[in-house]
Formats: sequence, C-alpha cells, structure tokens
Amino acid sequence: MLLEFLGVAALAFGLFFCAVGVLGVMRMPDSLTRLHASGKVATLGLFGLLVGAALLMPSAWLRLLALGLFVLLTSPVATHAIAASVHRRREIAASVRRQREIVEDPAESDAPTEAVDETALDVTAVLSRSRIQEIIEAQERALRHQRPDAKTKRDP
Amino acid sequence: MTISENASRESKAYWVMFESDFAQTAIQFILLALVSLLIPASYRVIVGPTLPDRLQAVDLITTLLIGIIVMLALVERTENFVDMAIALAAFAFIGTISIARYISEGRVF
Repeated sequence: MLLEFLGVAALAFGLFFCAVGVLGVMRMPDSLTRLHASGKVATLGLFGLLVGAALLMPSAWLRLLALGLFVLLTSPVATHAIAASVHRRREIAASVRRQREIVEDPAESDAPTEAVDETALDVTAVLSRSRIQEIIEAQERALRHQRPDAKTKRDP
Repeated sequence: MTISENASRESKAYWVMFESDFAQTAIQFILLALVSLLIPASYRVIVGPTLPDRLQAVDLITTLLIGIIVMLALVERTENFVDMAIALAAFAFIGTISIARYISEGRVF
C-alpha cells in the first residue's frame, strides 16, 4: 500500500515536469531557452516516471534501470548537439550579415553586428553551397595530383 | 494448456504492486495526460521558426513517447513493453545526433 502511494507520487512528479517542459517549449521566446526547458523533460520528467514504474512493477526494475541509465547518458549529448547546431547556424548567419555589410558600405565594416535573426537567412543554402565548393576543390586537387601539368579551369 | 494461454501467461508481469482502484485510475489518468501533452509539443514542430527548433521538438516528442510506452506497460501489466522503450530511445538518439550534425555541417559524415 505504501509502495503504491510512493509510486503514484513519483509518477505525478514525472508528469508535472513533463508538463512544465512542454509548456516551456511552447512558450519560451528563444531556441536556447526552449532547449533548457526540454532538457527537464528528458531527465527529471522521464526519471520520475521510471522510478514510479519501478515502484509499481518491481519485476521490471532491471529493464527500467537500464532505460534510465541510457536516457541519462544520451539525452544531454543530444541536447548539446542541438545547441551546437543552433550556435553554428547563428555564427554562419552573422558572418553572412557581416560580408553583406562590407559589400554594401565599407566604412561601417567595423561596426558591431546586432542580434542576428537566423530565421531571415537560409542557412541551409549557405551550408550546401560551401559544401559544393569543398567538393569542387577536392576534385581539382585530385586532378592536379593525377596530371601535375594540367591547367585547372578556375583561376587560383 | 494451449499456446495462446502459455503466451499470455508469460507476457504478464509476475510481480505487480498495485491492486487498488486508486492506483489504476491514477495510472490511466497519467497515461491520458502524457498523450495529450503530445499536442502542444507538435505545435512547436509545425510552427518552429528554424530547423533546430523542429528537431528539438521531435526529440521532445520521442522522450514523451518513451514515457507513454512505460505507462502503457503499467496499464497492460506487461513488462516486455519496456524493451520497446529502450529500442526507441536508442534509435531516437542516433537520429537526433545525425540530423543535428546534418543541419549544422551540411552533411552527416
């Protein structure tokens, strides 16, 4: 009976943190703050649910412990990867903005760039364009390695 | 003993701690609440302004699905469902890492 109440209390704890995390993901203004909110679901919310399930169904405690350890290991890694992608896309957007400002007005090139809105810029197109550039350069290097005397099409 | 009886007997958990009406109602209510939490999470998938926001919302949805599968194991009193949750966690980790790498580098490998 006591284990029942403890298990239901742990389940309610996990449900509360799941609801708070989903509310934060829905309402927070920024990508990184939303990541902060969704990290709570993976650790506190899911861990509360797993502890409650282990208290209510003790014959599955080893599988639940394995699942909890796996989530505890992998969820921060996934959140960190998403945060790194957010940061990298902002860097790309800032560099593209800076290049455009230099092209438009050379005198104001030293001016600090304001907060960059990466939604206004197609970062994926920039990334794929730079990737295509890399492939072309690698092909030219291979061609030069095959025939050292051959002239490349593009000017160096 | 027929085969189906044998299978159904083996799929049930042999050590379950809840018998009262209160615990069963609470478990079903929590399962319902977790399923209804999927709707505001998919709101972020649909209107997320950038690509990492959508990826993060999909990651959140898979985390909620792991919790839903665990609660379903409690409702059905079947401990084998937890294996499904472990497999889902593994595949969700691989998918999130590879898609995050793709949208930050422009390639996966």
